[in-house]
Amino acid sequence: MRPILLQGHERALTQIRYNRDGDLIFSTAKDQHVCAWYAHNGERLGTYHGHQGALWTVDVDPTSTIIATGAADNTVKLWDIKSGKCLKTWDFDTAVKRVEFAEDGSRLLAVTEKRMGFLGTIVVLDINLDVNAEQSSEKSLVITCEESKATVAGWSCLNKYIIAGHEDGSVSKYNAKTGEQIDNVQIHELDQLITDIQWSQDRTYFITASKDKSAKIVNVQDLEIMKTYTTDTPLNSACITPKKDFVILGGGQDAMGVTQTSARQGKFEARFYHKIFEEEIGRVRGHFGPLNTVAVDPQGRGYASGGEDGYVRVHQFDKGYFDFTYEVERQAKAAQQQHL
Amino acid sequence: MATKAIPTKGADWADDEDLDDTVDALPQGTTTTNKDGTKTIVTWRFNDDGKKVKTTRRIRFTTHKEVVNPRVAERKQWGKFGLSAKDAAGPTADTTSVGENIIFRPSSNWRKDSKEEKTEAGSMKEKLEGKKVKCRICNGEHFTARCPFKDTMTPVGEEGAADPAAGPADSVADAAGGLGKGKSSYVAPHLRGDGAGAGAGDRMGGGKYERDDLATLRVTNVSEMAEEQELRDMFERFGRVTRVFLAKDRETGLAKGFAFISFQERTDAAKACEKMDGYGFKHLILRVEFAKKAAA
Repeated sequence: MRPILLQGHERALTQIRYNRDGDLIFSTAKDQHVCAWYAHNGERLGTYHGHQGALWTVDVDPTSTIIATGAADNTVKLWDIKSGKCLKTWDFDTAVKRVEFAEDGSRLLAVTEKRMGFLGTIVVLDINLDVNAEQSSEKSLVITCEESKATVAGWSCLNKYIIAGHEDGSVSKYNAKTGEQIDNVQIHELDQLITDIQWSQDRTYFITASKDKSAKIVNVQDLEIMKTYTTDTPLNSACITPKKDFVILGGGQDAMGVTQTSARQGKFEARFYHKIFEEEIGRVRGHFGPLNTVAVDPQGRGYASGGEDGYVRVHQFDKGYFDFTYEVERQAKAAQQQHL
Repeated sequence: MATKAIPTKGADWADDEDLDDTVDALPQGTTTTNKDGTKTIVTWRFNDDGKKVKTTRRIRFTTHKEVVNPRVAERKQWGKFGLSAKDAAGPTADTTSVGENIIFRPSSNWRKDSKEEKTEAGSMKEKLEGKKVKCRICNGEHFTARCPFKDTMTPVGEEGAADPAAGPADSVADAAGGLGKGKSSYVAPHLRGDGAGAGAGDRMGGGKYERDDLATLRVTNVSEMAEEQELRDMFERFGRVTRVFLAKDRETGLAKGFAFISFQERTDAAKACEKMDGYGFKHLILRVEFAKKAAA
């Protein structure tokens, strides 16, 4: 496969998201604009300007009409995808590290940093998906993380729960209506920051990536660890591929140590693991800095990775990827066909 | 007759310059359809210096039908904005480029494969790691050249196998024997005796190239439509394939009709040669033989 390199940012990438149809890619970096790209040819649709600080996060609503961004200038902004206009700005006390739309796009959560005497919070905002409508300034719910700040968060299926990953390596489950904490489980090693949470297609389970060099699949129901993928490098991002039972993990040496290691030692590769067998099946090289974010096309056609090197690399999977199956999988399929 | 065959369509390349001098207006671009389905498009334009430039492109058109979600199709029509507002349709070179091809084949024994690679590279180092420096004169733990007895004693067991860890300069001088009396005189590798010199020469000239040639098959009468991957799949049945080369036409991308397959083991190659010679592949009968060594 031939990756498409997108050079829209001057600084390290922080997050990449595909829209639901998989035709648009949104990327944020520590420079102050968001880029929108066509996934099929890497053409840049446009950029969104207005933030005054490093952008940490972006999310696109399920209908692909608006995007939300969170930045180090303590704001969350809402943008019209088509025109690039800013629709609304919410101000917070500290930087916003993660935003995510609810499954139906009617609500948005934002994770704020713990800093300057303010505790880390998860804030829920009501969103009107109409571009011309007035957006409410009210915060409909605020969850304060008293013990350990949340680093990432997301909505479970049917917006029933909010799942948050914490700085101390634990995962919490909150009631999405009342904000009450239902459960908190130590998933990763103690005090090893959870760097990413991404959902399965039906949002009944999710994958976490952590600095403790492992990624885990956890189910929403009782926060039980289903699968563990162990690597030899701190992880920054993980995602679950649709269509094929794989997971993609991205990580690498910390940004601070990069200058002291060669590209080979730095382990700047996207790692593919089999979701069920927890076995590494391949790596994709290319970045010359750690991978800060990986995102997979919800239609399963490809994936994109963003690195500390400022590049986004968009990959379209080829035949070898789709053809690959384990012997047991082939046997099971053959047996099933015989049965019919 | 051959002499009468004057090119009728288009101008000969030799006439190009004459045309440039006599005609001021740009010639009409032409489009011709070639036999192999490609099109040759000739266009003319003036460059910055006011000179005429002829551009000849050979293009293959392939129709690729795709059903696109209407929402996606609509979004493709959107106008650009922000920093891209002035960009033309299609990807622009300053933001989008295509990276080098990455071969990504998921495999369940991925880890094992990569480990093998690593051990091969590290093997020489490991081999030498256990070896200690040993003097050939007194068996002490120093290079022969540094031996305190080198002027007074002859080496123990002159013709014995040289220790690879010993200094290479010494082994050359020793092996030279009758040819060069002094220690410093140079002896060409092929003139060296059968001692360490010959061994070193073998290592240099042979190594992987030799092995490669021995286990490489030449496959001819390959279909134009063949792909390297298909060949690899076919030949991998007989053993580990290290390299597949399928000659392709640079312009059309079609196979030229021959390929080279390198195996790790010569025995596998021999087996494959025997089994695959005469094998029917894409309506053609393959001819498989061992590749002849390239002319020295």
